Amino acid sequence: MTVRKLTWSEQLVGAALCVGYVMALVWTAPDLAMSRDESFYAHAAKDYGGWVAELTTSPSSALGREHIDRAWDYNWEHPPWMKLTFAWSWLLHQKLGLFSSESLAFRFPGMLTAGLLLWLIYSWGAVTMGRRGALFAALAFAMLPRVFYHSHLAAFDVPIAFFITFTAYAYWRTLSDGRWALLTGFAFGLALATKHNSWILPGIFLIHYLWVRRQYALADRLDRPTISWLPSMLVIGPVMLVATWPWVWHHTWSRLLAYAQFHLRHVHYTYEYLGVSYFEPPFPISVPFVMTLFTVPLTILVMALIGLVHRRAALVPPWKTRRGDATDTNADVLWLGCLAAPLLAIALPWSPIFGGTKHWITAYPFLALFAGWGFVAVIDLATGALLAERRGAAWALTALCLAPGLVETVHSHPFGLSHYTPLAGGVPGAADLGMNRQFWGFTTGSLADWLTKTLPDGGTVWTCDTTWGAWRMMQADRRLPSNIRPVRSMVDADLVLVHHEPHFNEVDFQAWMAFDDVKPVHVLTYDGVPIMSVYQNSR
Amino acid sequence: MADPTQKSSLAAWVWVLVACVAVFELVAHSVIRARVPSDRSWRDATTFVRERFEPTDRVVAAPHWVDPIVRSYLGDLFSLSSASVGDLAGVDRVWEVAIRGVTSRSEPPALEEPFGRVRVRMWSVVTDEVLFDFVEEIDRAEVDLLTEGSAQRCPWMHAKVQGGGLGHGPLPPPDRFVCDPARPWLWVGGTVMADLDLEPRRCVWQHPAGPEPVRAAFRDVPLGDKLVVQGGLDYNNERTAGNIAVRLRVFIDDRLAGEMRHQARDGWSRLEIDTSRLNGTAHQVRIETTAAKPHARTFCWSASTRGTRGER
Repeated sequence: MTVRKLTWSEQLVGAALCVGYVMALVWTAPDLAMSRDESFYAHAAKDYGGWVAELTTSPSSALGREHIDRAWDYNWEHPPWMKLTFAWSWLLHQKLGLFSSESLAFRFPGMLTAGLLLWLIYSWGAVTMGRRGALFAALAFAMLPRVFYHSHLAAFDVPIAFFITFTAYAYWRTLSDGRWALLTGFAFGLALATKHNSWILPGIFLIHYLWVRRQYALADRLDRPTISWLPSMLVIGPVMLVATWPWVWHHTWSRLLAYAQFHLRHVHYTYEYLGVSYFEPPFPISVPFVMTLFTVPLTILVMALIGLVHRRAALVPPWKTRRGDATDTNADVLWLGCLAAPLLAIALPWSPIFGGTKHWITAYPFLALFAGWGFVAVIDLATGALLAERRGAAWALTALCLAPGLVETVHSHPFGLSHYTPLAGGVPGAADLGMNRQFWGFTTGSLADWLTKTLPDGGTVWTCDTTWGAWRMMQADRRLPSNIRPVRSMVDADLVLVHHEPHFNEVDFQAWMAFDDVKPVHVLTYDGVPIMSVYQNSR
Repeated sequence: MADPTQKSSLAAWVWVLVACVAVFELVAHSVIRARVPSDRSWRDATTFVRERFEPTDRVVAAPHWVDPIVRSYLGDLFSLSSASVGDLAGVDRVWEVAIRGVTSRSEPPALEEPFGRVRVRMWSVVTDEVLFDFVEEIDRAEVDLLTEGSAQRCPWMHAKVQGGGLGHGPLPPPDRFVCDPARPWLWVGGTVMADLDLEPRRCVWQHPAGPEPVRAAFRDVPLGDKLVVQGGLDYNNERTAGNIAVRLRVFIDDRLAGEMRHQARDGWSRLEIDTSRLNGTAHQVRIETTAAKPHARTFCWSASTRGTRGER
């Protein structure tokens, strides 16, 4: 089976989706303070940027082991690719002043991958299910509240979703056109160099390949798909990982091993789920599924479910194939694998505690693609029934199906990680159920104006989960005046911030003791649910 | 051959189902947002409580997650003790400021008043009378650290408080007994600690120093029917730290009156000592903590002597 080429008009739609989404992200980014992890990556990007600058001016010294280690030792636990792009973006911003703020310079490459991911979802959808379904899939993905939040960040979660989807697409194309094999290896290299979620890709592809290969064999087809993607991935992928990561140019094996071990023995993030704060595994198996149910708009989930049912014929096991059956490279099985694997990996009882939806966000492009199929199925079924020959009604249905996602995504900003869909009872319902309310300390950004008004002559703030790097970035972005300084000791602060998560209760009680007062001077709420409390030093 | 009518009805059903799901989601989203209590509701409800509040009243929030909002309006009516979790000893009336139809008590309230989407309820309660609260009277204690059998007095002093943060444990008060400046955790004083359930406990930090006791003695403590002692470790250690028990022993006039043996994961524990035969008299009460090894035995206790009050 050959895959048709995208038309120019289709490419134009994909590009418009990409540009439109990136513009929306740039426009809304100032509302979001840097998150905890972003502040680490921005720090790393500055170090790496310095090394890149040195490489251009003094390559021989830059390549010396001491210089490499000095620049690349920070945040060695994550591979370099996105941090390098953050560094390039920041260096360009330093020279050309491209962006309205320093944080945007770091964040822009991540936003770009979010835009490119929409383009990719649309493209893959267009060649498999047609334009209507493709457009629905891309828009559905864009309108997932948690995806919208993570798409803003100078982090790796949306970028790895892009690189994994891109690698899957290139692999799938390779099955019918061996010329894509090289690109598959290249894409996998970038995925490896972005985040460790990519490690599971060869396994998913191998299962899919064997599935398709078996179908071809039983159907007695001679034009069987090539396996050239596998050597390409296994050779080019690791070479690209090492080539883009100077930190592993010395002590290569021991450092790669340390990197792998860091993630295989990852620390556990304390996470509240259904009223229990989990400090250590096992985490309930249901977490990724219930969190998906509670954070992905219901209409999109229903569409994805309809899509899966609609495509059930493509998902039958290969041994049911009969001689002469029509077979193809079966994108549906691949999508199902890419959708299920990240959820199952987190659900395993021995997996470290990763509660945030970001850890299985790579599943969501494929969820959106099935939602696209669901949309195609609904429209096709409806045509011939009530919507027959009523083009306007079909468009109205499209708009209606996308509206919940749009409304919820708009409402989720700038509290993306606190947002829950109506299925959970919204934000207050999730609080009743005892679901995680936030992490990373980024909600401090929503207090910037209040802090500025409250401390007109400057002062000191104990910043709780907000890192000092994130704080300084708010100052560099001119969201906070430079005379409002973070301090290490609560009792020395004019104001103490508390991010509400149960395992931060300890900090709340420390604030009571620090000022001998349990009355917050301000409580930041989202849909009536406390997100942050602020205590004032009246001593 | 498939019946075309059947296919048509199925198609109509799917279309309607999807449209209904979308409409439901949009409506539910709007309803959830519309049900968020307004600032005015909170203000009116808490003003109502404030105007009727008496010193022996207690204010609670329901559901528990609105507690910061309630404290932002009424926090000046809370002490560190009343903001913490504990039984209602010494309380005459409970005021509840609640939303979302949630309540903290099962019996019907004596008073109930709606303010928009916030509801105020009040219950009169019959509880024990608190005769002596050891936590609030800690500055009256004499604290000693026993080293090789000899008692070394721990002075009450004003000391610098520093730190705060996740995993740091309870913050010490500025005024406390300092037993050994070289061991900064070896102080005795009132604090608020997160227990195993991450709930606040107003208590006296009395980290054992080892097999020899750290002891806090109180003179002329009025006794009633019972002496209630509660205690536990800071949540970080309560969850994880080893199996070495903390032993808390209560002496009345140098005679052992009760003992609590607390191990990690026990959670906030309670010991009740019957003092009815000493009811109405005052005595010295001494509380000692020990542990075979003191590492991570971040022990904190609360205690009070109590008498029974008649029906109201």
